[in-house]
Amino acid sequence: MRTCLSDAIAPAVWKATRRALERAGVEVRVPRGQTCCSQPAWTAGHPDQARAVARHTITVFAGTEDVVVPSGSCAGMVIHTYPELFAGQPEQEAALDLAGRTIEFTQFLVKHDLDPRASACGPVTVHDSCHMLRVLDEQDSPRQALANVPGCEIREMANTDQCCGFGGVFALEFPELSGRLGEQKAREAMNSGAPEVVSCDLGCLMHIAGIAHRTGIPIRARHISEVLGS
Amino acid sequence: MADAGVVRAVLADDPVMHDIGLDAALRAAGIDVLIWPVSLGRREILGLEGPAEVCGVTVPTLAVAARGTLVLEASPGHGRGLDVTNRHHVALLPADRIVEGLAEALARTFVVGQPIPSAVSLVSGPSRSSDIEKISTLGAHGALAEHVVIIT
Amino acid sequence: MTVPRRRSRKQQGVTYDDLTGTLRERTVVALADPVLAANLRTAGEAWSEQQAKMKGDYDFDQMRDRARDIRRSNIRDLPALLAQLQNSVRENGGTVVRAADGAEACRYIVGLARARGVRVVAKSKSMATEEIKLNDALEDAGLEVVETDLGEWILQLAHEHPTHIIAPAIHMNRERVADLFREEAGTNDVPDDREGLVAHARMRLREKFAQADIGISGVNLGVASTGTLCIVENEGNARLVTSQPRIHVAVMGMERVVADWDQAAHILEVLPMAAIGYDAANYVNLITGPRREGETDGPEELHLVIVDGGRGALRGTEFEEALSCIRCGACLYSCPVWRNVGGQTYGSPYSGPIGAVITPLLEGPASPGSRDLPFMSSLCGACGDVCPVGIPLPDLLVRARARSSSPHKTRTGIGFRIWSHLWRHRLTYRLTIVAWRLALRIRGKGGWVHRLPGPGANWTEVRDMPSKWPPHR
Repeated sequence: MRTCLSDAIAPAVWKATRRALERAGVEVRVPRGQTCCSQPAWTAGHPDQARAVARHTITVFAGTEDVVVPSGSCAGMVIHTYPELFAGQPEQEAALDLAGRTIEFTQFLVKHDLDPRASACGPVTVHDSCHMLRVLDEQDSPRQALANVPGCEIREMANTDQCCGFGGVFALEFPELSGRLGEQKAREAMNSGAPEVVSCDLGCLMHIAGIAHRTGIPIRARHISEVLGS
Repeated sequence: MADAGVVRAVLADDPVMHDIGLDAALRAAGIDVLIWPVSLGRREILGLEGPAEVCGVTVPTLAVAARGTLVLEASPGHGRGLDVTNRHHVALLPADRIVEGLAEALARTFVVGQPIPSAVSLVSGPSRSSDIEKISTLGAHGALAEHVVIIT
Repeated sequence: MTVPRRRSRKQQGVTYDDLTGTLRERTVVALADPVLAANLRTAGEAWSEQQAKMKGDYDFDQMRDRARDIRRSNIRDLPALLAQLQNSVRENGGTVVRAADGAEACRYIVGLARARGVRVVAKSKSMATEEIKLNDALEDAGLEVVETDLGEWILQLAHEHPTHIIAPAIHMNRERVADLFREEAGTNDVPDDREGLVAHARMRLREKFAQADIGISGVNLGVASTGTLCIVENEGNARLVTSQPRIHVAVMGMERVVADWDQAAHILEVLPMAAIGYDAANYVNLITGPRREGETDGPEELHLVIVDGGRGALRGTEFEEALSCIRCGACLYSCPVWRNVGGQTYGSPYSGPIGAVITPLLEGPASPGSRDLPFMSSLCGACGDVCPVGIPLPDLLVRARARSSSPHKTRTGIGFRIWSHLWRHRLTYRLTIVAWRLALRIRGKGGWVHRLPGPGANWTEVRDMPSKWPPHR
């Protein structure tokens, strides 16, 4: 699953994900008709609109393969919310089936003990997105995946479990509050001593990078796929 | 009590208190002893009039070991405010009244079908408030000092 | 099985009458206050630290699961439990009144005060009484109302609203408190240090306890089997409120009932752990009826006022789990939003994640004061993790958004309708993506866009948008 954010902001992310998987020996198919998991509409309080787009996603990803997603939040949406979104709907069975086959990218690598043979990277700090941390209950897989990357030294920031403030539509509805949280996160990342922050979620990274650039906080940002697929 | 400058003690009218002869002992030490029920007005009970250094003496029905909680029951002989209206509080606790956990203490105290006391107070420490600058300070409303005397 | 809906008169809202500006504007005001920020940070961090210590000694998950099951069963059996509570309280000499809404509750209490010739009312902390705006009703009737919880008294003197359910005045500094005390006492002879201030308050408030004819408290839990009201506190003022005046009025939200003492014991253990990070509160007052024959202290009358105020209507709905809440305040302390803007910003006595869910539900989802509250959340999920009764708060926030009818949501509704038509087809999706990427490239300078038009403008208010990725290479 490419994710709409990657399509719109950073195609490099889904391409790096594909590269990493292929290097690790996985056969990868990228369905051309895919659009969006529909999380923005769901969290904005428009479940009917969400369902219309999610239905398309279910159709596009019909089949038996694992669906690997370079986003904790999109994976979380499919795995945990599609069952609620399609409860009592005609697509209920198909939705549950997709939810059962969907997995976040680093979790997939760790689960199947895959080495994407990434090229070297320097010290990084890891941002645990709220969806990875709490919806997928996962903190280890990004770190385990990075452990295979030569030269990669993880310098943990303080308060890794504090939200960066992106929150999807929240970033647009309460920009000052969202910005304050992002600034706090950017500073924590900088204080870790690492020059760049990596994460499984592009939304968080866009937000952190955007704030860092606006406020002059010296921290760079990359998606974990870009490190693993380098 | 003498160390703390207590000049008056208000005692629960309880067999345990009488057994150890606390009232006589305190009187002998020059402390003014009142036994519940007292005929003081509300202002004096609250310490707005009369002596300031007053000690209330209670006899808990039970205590919970886990957090050092005393169980105090109101009754004609045991005023419900003895432990909070005065600046000092001493509890006389027979050792065999100590139970392990809260659930057991409550199950023993509240038995459906038997008379329920009008007020039962679980007391786990002296009065404190963290409302000013989030720093815990003693003596907001209840006693400033609590002492538990365990009688074996 | 749903409780039959009562046709109540238009009820007073839950949100404060003196709200200024929009919710977003209030967040901006709060964010600009460095004293507030520092105090909130201290409070939040202290709580987190204490929680970490507690969780080392106790199995939080197991305790939470048990508490969740207890509260769910309470809400499921609510009508029967309330009936049993009512009977038990009456058997022990208390009076019970079921009020459909806040207005009815206030009318009863004011009527009682008038009938008994009451002049002074001493109150201990009660969210329910703030919700129904009881103080206003009593003061309008010419009574003097004194909050005796230290933090609430400070707020009353300052004419402010609480920042947190458990520690309402933590946004204030000592100097401000000293000033307020000087004003109240009409003298400059008030200490400056914390201990002196507490001692001063103690004596001033005891004057009020001596004068009060009615003591009004909340109820943390009602135990149906014996008709006992549990009132949990750390200061001791609730004890004085419920023991000194001749009349005790207890105001209880209808959902705050447990079946028996086994359940009560567990909830009474879980509550202080979640609220303050210690395994017991200093005082737990367990009150069953007024004083008995032969007792010389304690109230002569006990009146239990059980308030519905919109709670009953939530049973059987997708929001039913919100009724499990035991008002511990843990979700507030864990919330990155609350930790940055504080409780006053929410404009409701119920702030934080639970407040954002229930305030619009109790007021009605179209109510202008509260309909934006569910959107003031990044849905980070911290609240759901810490709730000691297992309320799925993040899910409830999303459901509350779906139900909200703010004008803003109507606008995003139009936007998302268009979005869903375009994004359910490959071709139109591709077109919007290409158009967007083109726009980024055109507007981008050095890899960044500094101002986005239209709905994107809010993004660029506080941050830049990367026009290429990775943005730094």
